[in-house]
Order: sequence, then structure tokens, then C-alpha cells
Amino acid sequence: MTAVEILPDEAALRLARRARVLAAMEEADVDLLIVGREGNARYVSGAPRLWTAGSRAFGPGCVFVRESGAVHLLSTWDEGIPEEIPHENLYGITFNAMNFVKVLSKIEGAATARRVATDSMSGSSANLLPKAFPSAALVDGEPMLRQVRRVKSPDEIEAIRSSVRVAEQSLAAAAEALVPGVTERQLTAVFMEAMAAAGVTTPSGQDVACITSRQGPWRRSDRDAPAQPGDLVAFEAGVVLGGYTGEVGRTYAAGGAGDIDPELAQRSNELWDRLLDACGVGAPLSRLLDAYDAAGVPAPPMPVARGLGLGFDLPLVTHALPLTAGEQHVEAGMVFALTGYVWKEGVGALYRQEPIVVTDSGPESLSTTHPRTRSLTT
Amino acid sequence: MPAGLMAKAPPARIPAAPDFVRMQGERMERLQAIMVQQGLDALVLLGNTNVAYATGAIWSLGDSGRANFEQPVAVVVVGDQWPHLFTPVREDDRLRENMPADHLHGPVYLDFDEGVQLFAAQLGGLVPSGAVVGMDEWTNALRRERSILFASGAPKDAGRVISMAKASKTPDELSAMREGLRITEQAIADVQAKIAPGVRQTDLTATFFRTIFDAGADANILDPIWQVMPARMEDGPWTTTGDLACPLLSTGRELAEGDVLWVDLGISYAGFHSDFGRTWVVGREPSARQRAQYEQWQAIMGAVLDVTRAGATAADLTAAAIAAAGGIKPWMPHFYLGHGLGIDSAEMPYVGSDIGEAFDASLVLVDGMVLVLEPIVWDDGAAGYRSEEVLRITEDGWEPMTDYPYDPF
Repeated sequence: MTAVEILPDEAALRLARRARVLAAMEEADVDLLIVGREGNARYVSGAPRLWTAGSRAFGPGCVFVRESGAVHLLSTWDEGIPEEIPHENLYGITFNAMNFVKVLSKIEGAATARRVATDSMSGSSANLLPKAFPSAALVDGEPMLRQVRRVKSPDEIEAIRSSVRVAEQSLAAAAEALVPGVTERQLTAVFMEAMAAAGVTTPSGQDVACITSRQGPWRRSDRDAPAQPGDLVAFEAGVVLGGYTGEVGRTYAAGGAGDIDPELAQRSNELWDRLLDACGVGAPLSRLLDAYDAAGVPAPPMPVARGLGLGFDLPLVTHALPLTAGEQHVEAGMVFALTGYVWKEGVGALYRQEPIVVTDSGPESLSTTHPRTRSLTT
Repeated sequence: MPAGLMAKAPPARIPAAPDFVRMQGERMERLQAIMVQQGLDALVLLGNTNVAYATGAIWSLGDSGRANFEQPVAVVVVGDQWPHLFTPVREDDRLRENMPADHLHGPVYLDFDEGVQLFAAQLGGLVPSGAVVGMDEWTNALRRERSILFASGAPKDAGRVISMAKASKTPDELSAMREGLRITEQAIADVQAKIAPGVRQTDLTATFFRTIFDAGADANILDPIWQVMPARMEDGPWTTTGDLACPLLSTGRELAEGDVLWVDLGISYAGFHSDFGRTWVVGREPSARQRAQYEQWQAIMGAVLDVTRAGATAADLTAAAIAAAGGIKPWMPHFYLGHGLGIDSAEMPYVGSDIGEAFDASLVLVDGMVLVLEPIVWDDGAAGYRSEEVLRITEDGWEPMTDYPYDPF
């Protein structure tokens, strides 16, 4: 059922999230939190705002005041704004940085705040924020936000499950369109159309299909090159629904899945078993990197695990950050996209990405198309 | 059906096809010159569009959440004609063909202390010690890096360097932008053919998505807007300005006969963003009152175009618009009469924004700037009319970059 109105996130969900942030601010002794990243702003405010593609430079998109519990939000109108955020706490779009200073300096406690946390920074904001908060030290707000966002509540897990469902449905349409001669761009077109037809107009990524190379494990070719019979095409299906990202990755062969090289499928399954074995509660996440080594599979350039949530969340597990991987541990309530990528010369790559939720009894997929039964051998 | 903007002035001076190698070479020349002038030895760029500008790398922009954590990073060093690019897709043939292999590096994760340390070690091999480095934005983890980037306090603003370099478009850039705008118009024609009572806003988005990618787009850049305008302003949402709420998000709402739709959207093609705006009426011909709105809009647009040329100020344009609108500002107070377009959907020059009238009076248009003009006519009780046109500034006037008809008006 597609919504016909712009509504804020459910009260229970948004208030619970906000309470977690407030507790973290108390713990970290932060008086004011200023977030620019949309996921952080959504987490705190519960308000949907216009989706735009690509990274955004830091700006004061949302301000959370510890003392009063008030949320101040960058929004020129009140449509979709939660009822507990009054009109006087909304500030409009501005192209004049000094207007931001004016707005921020009027927020209760701005003059006396001692510690103001931000989630990132830009050159102009670094110059301007001290004018609005003359008594404050600007501190790093990301660690506490990552801490509270990393473990999902049951409501959040259900939200991600809903996103995964739309991703799978849209992926199925794109997979259906995979015939020799089709291009990556055309497959993306089918995916995006199916996603919007399902009522979701915001993708997590728009690089949806990749005809994997037979020549090199990470080679990418022209987006308009036609798929050849037997080409292995990796699909990365991701949608953002209610702010929450749901992602699924699958590989299909152009001209029929039965053509997949059995040895490649076998290696992929072995890697996958090792990856799942490494997802027990309490395990250091570096075990996911070890799983690649143990399976004799070269490290992929993309993360092996990446948190799913509002935009981006921990954990981030990549061979590019081995120490960081070892410092993070598998926790119940974590949700992440787990990636297996195995390549064979002359054949191509088998890519699979599974939305994993960690439970006390181990990893479970939020996908309804189980990787073993659907992606490879059927 | 009135023809599009190109009926007024055919675009004679934009090359039919861009030469991307030449385009990148010219960008690098500009960046190097500005860096020397500002005493910068290197730029470290994190913003997606800034990285695309400096390197020419094209990737499909994703949700901002991932885009901020998995961002490609560019480093531009004075005296080196090639930028460095840190990216997970360095094996992309499109990059390998256009950049030396030793300038393509693996991904860096600058939101993590370990990622910053590894990046700083690589950066140390690219720039001399004591180098003056500019950055466009930074993470808190980067702020803790003291060996190069924050060795002497906050780094200089590299975003300003990109803003200066990109303000005036080269002929190859104009050509690529024209193609992005053409793809957008091609897709919009498919969408407009489907406008009818009972169609959902998200169905329009579905058609738009299908056709932009089939026509060659790299990404959609904005959740497309198909806003049903209220007849009276007071029937719309409350706003901080006391004026119109726009753009409002699209939903599964079904269109009804007589709905006035304000359309606003854009795509990305070859690293450029497009922009499109029109007003449509669902399922019936516009009324006489609606036609009068459109005629007034054309009069305002015509008055602005008459004064638009290199050497004119933004204030010249706003004055012409206000005069043609009978003394009121014919644009929404939270936006502007016009804005620049290029690697970003809205960039300098801003015309009539809340930066203020003094700024408008000081902003001089120059040859090669690309301007989106988006005046509105609001006729309380009968909604209003809003469309956008994209043009490039020339020495003696302007040339159209868009050519979409005004149907059903």
C-alpha cells in the first residue's frame, strides 16, 4: 500500500531514537548536537525531507538541544514534520550563511553552550559556527551517533525488512529483463521503474547492474555494452523506504542461470559458509576478512560488511581498514549487508549481498530469497 | 502548442558533441591557475561533485548516507596535470582510459581514524611537507589528522577554488550539459503523455526513471516533484516565509482532473546535473485565467531575457522581473529568480536569493555561465504558473540550453 500523504516516522520509532541520542549526549556531555547528514537528521527528527543523490556538504540540517529536548529543523514548511516540533523550531532554506548564524544563535542555550557536537564540517561552517556558539568547543558527535544507531530496535529491523522486500521485488523485475544484448544501463532502468511502481522513488544506489568481466576480477566496462550469452551479471539492489536502506545483491547469467560455472558456485558457497560462521555474537568483525583469506578468495575492493539503517551505519568491515574491523564486534541487533565476491578467469564473478540481522542465535537474512536456494544453483 | 525556447534563439555556438579529454584538460588548467593565485599547493576534495569536476570520473550517485561514507576522494597537486583519484572502482575502463595508472588509488575511508592515517601516509607521498592544502569539507576523523591537513589549523577552503573554476562553462561542458538536458526532455515527453486523472505521482516517477536510463542518464538526482498546487496559498502547508510550500514530496496520490501540477526534477549525465520545470493541468485544457497566468509568466521571462547578457548584474535581472510582474518579486522567497547549473543542481550565480540585494548588484554575469530562470506567477484562488528555462550567457545575450514546449498552454 503506497502512502498518499507525507507523514513523519511513527511516533514510537522516532521518540525511541531521540531518547537514545539524548542519553548519549548526556553520557558524552554534549549540550547541543548539530547534524548535517540526512540519516542523522532523520534519526533525531523523524521527518522525511527531499531525497537528493550524492554526498552533501555539512550544513546545520537539524539541531538537538539536550537541556530542553527540543529539535530544531531545517524545513521551510511543516508538511511531514512531527507534531512535537513546533513551527518556531523550523528554519527555512537559506543561501546566506549569515542567516544560519542568526537562526542558530537564537536557539535556547546557544550563547552558553559549552560543548557543541557536529557530525562533520565544511570550511564555511568552521568559520561560522563559533559566531553562533561563542562559548562552545566544537566536538566530534559521530562516535555517539554511530554508537546509538549501530544496534537496531525491533521497529527498525521491520523497517529495513520492508525496504529489502521492495529491493527484492525490483531486483526480480531487473533479473527478468536480463537477456543477451541488454545493457547495464537498461537493467538499471528496469530496476528503477519497478521500484517506483512499487511506490518507492528513492534508491540506495543507482549502479544496479554490472556485467562482470571475464578478464579481471574488478574490471568495469562501458555501461552501454550489451550482455553476451553466459555473462554473469551482478545486481546490487538497494532502496530507501521510510529513510531505511534495504539492500540485496544477486548474480544471474545472461540467457539462463543454469549456465553458472559449478566450480565458481562451489567456491562462492564455501566463502559464504565461512562468512556466516564469522557472524556469531561477540566475534570480532575482522573474522569476516579472515573468511576471505581462509577461502582463498582475494579481498574485494568494496566493504565485506556495511551497516544498514538510516543511510549508513556501522559496522564497516573492509580490507582497507583491518584494524577498524578488529575493533568492532558482532552484536545482536546489528543489521548489515554482507558481501561475497568470487571471481574466475574466463567466467566472471559471483556476487551476493545479503541483508543480515544478528540475533542471539546467529545471523539471519532479512531477504525472502535465501542465497543458497535462489542466487546460484537454481 | 507554443514551441520551446529554441524557437526564439537557436543555439549556434555549442559544439554538437563534447570532447571529454579536452574538457578535463581545460578544467585542470583553470584549477592550477587558481591554486597558484591563492597560494595553494594541493586540493583534497571529498564532495562527490567536486571530485567529479576535478577528475572527470563518472559514477552513479547514490543515497547521501552511503555517498558520505564511501566517497571517492580527489587530490590535485600544483604542477601535476593529472589529479589523483581514490576509488573502489579504479579498474573501471572509463577511468583507466583517461587517467595514468599511478594516479588511481584504492578507496579511502575518511570517517575512520585508521582510514585517515592511511590516507595521510599516501598523501605524504604526493605533496611536499609543509604544503598549503585546501579542502572542501572534512570529517571529524580528518580534523584529528595533524601531520599534513590540519598541521597549521583549519585548511583553506577548496570548495571556493572549484566554485571559481566551474562558474563559466567551456564549450565541451556546455555540449555535455545540453545532452543531459536533452535526455531529460526526452523522458519528460514520455511522462507528459501519461498525465491523466487516476495516475499516481509515483507512476510518473516510474516512467521517468525508465526513460532517463534508457536514454543515457547516469543517475536520477532528485526525487521527482509532481506537486499538486492548492488553488489558494492558505490551503497549502504552513511555511516559515508565509509564502508557498514547494517542492513537496511525491507520494502515491492519484491525480485528479483539473489538478495544477508543478513539475521539478533533474538527472545526472557525464557529471552534469540537469534541471527541468513546467506547469501542467491534468485532464483538461487550461482555463482563461490559467492562460493569463502563463502569458504573464512569458512576459516576465521575456523581460528578464531582454536584459540577460554578459556584463549584466543579477540585480538587472531581478529588476526586470519585478517590473514585468507589476512591482512584486515573481519568485518564491525561499529560492530565487534564477540559479546556476553545472556539476551541481543549484550553484552560483544565484539571482534574487536571500544572500541579498547588495550581492545581486555585485554579481556580474560572464560569458559561459549557465543560468536556470524560474519565475512564478501566483494567482491566489487559481493556483499559478511556474516553468524553468536553462540558458547560457554570451557576450551579446544568451543562448537556450532547453527546448521543451509549454503544452498544454
